[in-house]
Amino acid sequence: MFSFSSHAPPTTGNRGRRPKRLGTIAQYLILTLMTVLMAGPLLWQLSLSLKSSGESLYERPPRLVPEHPTWHNFVAVLDRIPVPHYFLNSLLVAGMAVIGNVVGATCAGYALGKLRFRGRGVATAVFVAALLVPGEIVLISQFLLVRNAGLANTLVGVVLPTIVAALNVLLMRNAFASLPAEFDEAAIVDGANVWQRFIRVSLPQVKGVITVVAIFSFIGSWNDFLWPLIVLSDESNYTLTVGLNRLRGTFYSDPRLVAAGTIIALIPIVAFFAILQRYFFRGLEEGGLKG
Amino acid sequence: MTMTSRRGRLALMAGLAIGSLVLSGCGSDMNSSSKPSDDGKVAGKITFQTWNLKNDKFTSYFNNLIAAFEKAHPGTDIKWVDQPAEGYQDKLSADAAAGSLPDVIDMGPESAYTLGQAGVLLNLEKDDPGAKKLYLPKAWEAMTFKKLGGTYGYPWYLNTGPSFFNTALFKKCGLDPKHLPKTFDELFDQAEIMGKNCKDTPMMARMPSIELFGAYGVPLMNAAGTKFTYNDAKGVELVEHFRKLYAGKALTKEALNNLQTKELETFKAGRLGYMGGSSYTLDDLKATAPNVYKTLGIGPAITNGAPNTYMESLVVNAGSKHKTLAKAFARYVTNPANQLAFGKKASVFPSTVGSMDDPYFTKDDGQPSTKVRLQSAAQVKKAVVYWPAAFSGGADVETLREQLALAVIGKKSVKDALDTSVKFSNDRLASQR
Repeated sequence: MFSFSSHAPPTTGNRGRRPKRLGTIAQYLILTLMTVLMAGPLLWQLSLSLKSSGESLYERPPRLVPEHPTWHNFVAVLDRIPVPHYFLNSLLVAGMAVIGNVVGATCAGYALGKLRFRGRGVATAVFVAALLVPGEIVLISQFLLVRNAGLANTLVGVVLPTIVAALNVLLMRNAFASLPAEFDEAAIVDGANVWQRFIRVSLPQVKGVITVVAIFSFIGSWNDFLWPLIVLSDESNYTLTVGLNRLRGTFYSDPRLVAAGTIIALIPIVAFFAILQRYFFRGLEEGGLKG
Repeated sequence: MTMTSRRGRLALMAGLAIGSLVLSGCGSDMNSSSKPSDDGKVAGKITFQTWNLKNDKFTSYFNNLIAAFEKAHPGTDIKWVDQPAEGYQDKLSADAAAGSLPDVIDMGPESAYTLGQAGVLLNLEKDDPGAKKLYLPKAWEAMTFKKLGGTYGYPWYLNTGPSFFNTALFKKCGLDPKHLPKTFDELFDQAEIMGKNCKDTPMMARMPSIELFGAYGVPLMNAAGTKFTYNDAKGVELVEHFRKLYAGKALTKEALNNLQTKELETFKAGRLGYMGGSSYTLDDLKATAPNVYKTLGIGPAITNGAPNTYMESLVVNAGSKHKTLAKAFARYVTNPANQLAFGKKASVFPSTVGSMDDPYFTKDDGQPSTKVRLQSAAQVKKAVVYWPAAFSGGADVETLREQLALAVIGKKSVKDALDTSVKFSNDRLASQR
């Protein structure tokens, strides 16, 4: 959604103008289509959240601009649900997930990517294997584990299974592994120990990938619904996604309220992404590609 | 967030991964841990779990309900928790597997069937035989699962509703809004005319569901509750109607896959002639589709025998430490007075003997909502819970819909499709102990 345009392929000089223009038109058509496809539902939610109660929601063709725009739906959401409280819970969980993944995956990734020790191959294989197991399959046994650890109905229980995600470890491993060995060798000659090489030499070069890990774990944890639902049983511990489900009417729902809730839940993700986005794209390019 | 809630429309509720993992996994697990000593007294602390009922409209009702119970029974402490509608089935499965189910739980018959099969629910036939006479026989029967040999929940509220019609469409498409369809034959005939005159606004937008088979007069299960039987001649006859409509372009391609939520949306968009509704659908239409509401036509539910009703129940955890209290509380929530109060609040109907004779369900005051209520109330008295609890909201519903779609577009004979669907459900049922 954000920067497709920066990747327009360079045009070759030999071509005539007509094909180039056709190509440009095609490009823009595809870009417009993508924008409509990806931003459309979001815009519709936004429009829905601003519609007042007398408006017909199911007209054909749908009306995007509300007839009588109102903030009332947002007020109603804040009124019905302790949004700040759930927001804080979500933030705690997401914060723990980000810190856990950034610290844990970076350390583990460095060990797997740069250090030589016995069983390194097996350890990497274990992480790959962990990726292959779908979460739904182990959901129940995961819950039993968390419950037996006495962490049912706690935020720590929510964050624990994803506090160091296998995918992030592998991402970091690849990032470290792709750094040229010469840096390390030079540092060893200078007498740097492992920690110094890790923190001073390698870490600064993978900042971008770390940002990717941070954003992925933030979004993953912020949007997670099923797992927190299963772990938490007291409303006071709900995260925002679980809490917002209460906007659903008991017997029938007001789509306007639901839309307003969705928009509220989206704000932090957009904010988090906006802050980190320049690192993010650098990170995507770094990941495993740099030689 | 996906939003597909229709409380009481049980079809949608149990749609997700009904825990075959739980069923197979926890049966043995539970037996070892489920020998708590019941103290035999109405005392102690229990947890009462509802879903999607803690909100502006119902919180005070339940708080008062619980306070009154605690006052009448000193030494009791009822903790009320409420879970979101989304993922409720998964939550129940996980809790059942972990042995952390609440003491008294609000759920539909199919969920109760699943958990009853896993051995985690109290069998009332054994543990509270006196309860039977308090409830309408059909409600009690709906919670009695013959294959499991017991009754696994206290009937709570019933939910039925009239037929809704878009009379503006009737006029536009050459039909007389004064003669809205009352029988299946009229419905199918008029659907054909509507399809002929108006290409994109059909009369119906959904494949027949299992409860529609029931209302059409198709026997759904054998007497022992071990085998499905809706692939008989009557079932074929029903599907043939749909096949004919599709061939005459009176049924759109989308209808092959539509769920109830989509049907409701299409109706609200003013692009559908007929829809079976619930008693609370009227308020919904009024709030979200004012244009359709203006020309809404309302008639009795279309049926060949008894009309259909859905039901909700309260079950008791077989592993509860205070079973006596849990039973007493479940009985209390579902007693006539409390059911009546809840029914008034939620536009649903009580399942207790005699409650339907209350003036609230019999006295007309001229309001459209009262009209719907009285009509639905009259309907409830005759209505049957057609949906067999053994028919799972996930796999069974989907298989039936897929097979019907194949039959309707002509890839398979109707008989073949129904046979396949019935066999699938029978095999699934047989594989579970």
